[in-house]
Amino acid sequence: MNRSIFTNPYVLIAPAFLLAAFIILWPLFQIGEISISNVNRFGQLRGFAGPDNFMAVLADPQFLASLWRTVIWTVGIVAGTILVSIPVALILNEDFYGRGLARVIIMLPWAVSLTMTAIVWRWALSGESGMLNSALMGLGLIDQNIQWLAQAGTAFPMQIAIGILVSIPFTTTIFLGGLSAIPDDLYEAARLEGASGWQIFRTITLPLLRPFINIAVVMNTITVFNSFPIIWATTQGGPANSTDILVTYLYKLGFNFGKLGEASALSLLMFALLLFFTIIYVRLAMQGERE
Amino acid sequence: MSLHWLKVATATGVAAIALASASYAQTVRVTVAEYSSKTGPYFEKAASEFEAANPGTDIQIEVVPWDVLQQKLTTDISGGANADLAIIGTRWLIDYVSQGIAAPLDDYITDDFRARFIDTFLSPSVMEGQTYGLPIAASARAMYYNKSLFEEAGIAEPPATWDELKAAAEKIKALGGDAYGFGLQGKEIETDVYFYYALWSQGGTLIEEDGTSGLDTEAAYAAAQIYKDLIDGGLTEPGVTSLNREDVQNLFKQGRIGMMITAPFLANQIKEEAPDLQYGVAAIPAGPNGDRGTYGVTDSIIMFENSQNKDTAWKFMDFLFTTEKRAEFDENEGFLPVNAEEAAMPLFADNADLKAFTDLLPSAQFAPVIAGWEEMAAATSNALQRIYLGEGEIKAELDQAAAEINGIIEANN
Repeated sequence: MNRSIFTNPYVLIAPAFLLAAFIILWPLFQIGEISISNVNRFGQLRGFAGPDNFMAVLADPQFLASLWRTVIWTVGIVAGTILVSIPVALILNEDFYGRGLARVIIMLPWAVSLTMTAIVWRWALSGESGMLNSALMGLGLIDQNIQWLAQAGTAFPMQIAIGILVSIPFTTTIFLGGLSAIPDDLYEAARLEGASGWQIFRTITLPLLRPFINIAVVMNTITVFNSFPIIWATTQGGPANSTDILVTYLYKLGFNFGKLGEASALSLLMFALLLFFTIIYVRLAMQGERE
Repeated sequence: MSLHWLKVATATGVAAIALASASYAQTVRVTVAEYSSKTGPYFEKAASEFEAANPGTDIQIEVVPWDVLQQKLTTDISGGANADLAIIGTRWLIDYVSQGIAAPLDDYITDDFRARFIDTFLSPSVMEGQTYGLPIAASARAMYYNKSLFEEAGIAEPPATWDELKAAAEKIKALGGDAYGFGLQGKEIETDVYFYYALWSQGGTLIEEDGTSGLDTEAAYAAAQIYKDLIDGGLTEPGVTSLNREDVQNLFKQGRIGMMITAPFLANQIKEEAPDLQYGVAAIPAGPNGDRGTYGVTDSIIMFENSQNKDTAWKFMDFLFTTEKRAEFDENEGFLPVNAEEAAMPLFADNADLKAFTDLLPSAQFAPVIAGWEEMAAATSNALQRIYLGEGEIKAELDQAAAEINGIIEANN
């Protein structure tokens, strides 16, 4: 066949690549430029600053505290989501009356804006008229209202719980896709051999679901790490910054305090962190698969 | 050939754009903060009235929720896409002036125009001898109290001092209902301000004469002690660090707060949302030496230095500050009159609620005009939240906040 330049794969891929590069790399370049410049609060560059902005971020005790909280936040939500979503997906994969409806109910919250969900939870957690307190009182579990959002000790675990709840629909969808790809005859053969339900799950379902779990871990880690609305709508990182994660801290730096240079430096650091851990995880996971 | 065609096309295009912009030379874009659901309609109406009176002008109003106003303006300015006029918090103005974003208005301001204003409200927008903004919204703070609760608890008069306030709160607590004596805000915007009322009453200041923070003073410790005692005595609502200003106001509207300090617009909200609530407005309690201070706040409307239509923009500003337009706006939103003629109108002069606020104006304090103020306010709020939660000692926390603030002051000079 005549190889024309128009059928060269690199040429074919070029438009999409250029568009993606423009959308992804150009802002990255801009942020890089701001992060090494003196910049006023209106984003106007006022000369070269070198590593000053990075040093300022690293020297701020709020940075380390928020970083540590981001780790708890991300690991907590991602692990919690996976642990809940696997049984949910297993149940929804069974053939039962009303399965279609059950699947829709599980997926529906996905369609609601995260900010709106977070605001509803803020009401539910209110210490005066909150639904959660009323429910716990009704059940006789508490005899006094709990001020959920007044201190980090109760606010942060609740925020993680909300994070898990809102991540379930997406994760369950991935797992349902994975489960439907497992051929039924594997299960039939296992049952003929007299395997128990747990054995089937451990030796057939889980290994075959592994690639999907990996996808779910990576995708969830990226969104959860950068997830802003839940914390912002419930506590704005307060009281006294005790529920700040890196994104809320970033927002305060940039928009409340007008330190756009430091905010850019911080967002580059976050980008690097996320990239680093994602690459490590993907490599480990792929190694596991090859074995 | 094709290159020539391209040139012609480009030239035609440029000409068309030039023509188009010429025909819209009188366009003025205005970024407006949304104070309530009435703000947008008010400005739209003002714009169409102005357009009718000035043919050939086109006023475009952009309404932005107050929470994201700063973010929206920052983004617009950095992208060079800002409007011609914008409402900003007057405490932000210094940044706009020092970076050359806001245009001085003195060339436009005549003596007649200046004479319209009550000087207390115009002066915060004057910097380095130049006027950079006009006070579009003004408010102060006073103490609201629930008359029914007071009657039930046998309290005759609204408390004049903090000691009396504490005694009144104890009586309300003794009623045993689900009402709380004193509503204290401990979250989000103005958490620091709520503390300043007590600070000023103790004779304290935010920034001392030597240019350092006033938080590491006896007055500040005493002020924090007042609030801490109220919290520890169960005289405030529980969990103060989970309630922002609106949350406390909502409790007040439900009749569950005996006393709280807030702005005139709460009276407007009560009229609409809880018309049966029996409330009164009184002065903020005084300290042992009779000191008291209310927080004066103005928002300014500014003109941008890069505006292409300054003359038309100014004409629109002038129109917004006519007595009639001001009265309409302030009545809608529940702000204080900034225009002397307007203040004399029966609508405002005979309003008992507003009178409590205007009476406090001689002791009104404004947020200091100082770079980095928002960061200092955050440092103050954080220290207060730790004190309210009992996570830190008053003196240690305030001293640390003062040190932090002094560092910010130094870094910005």
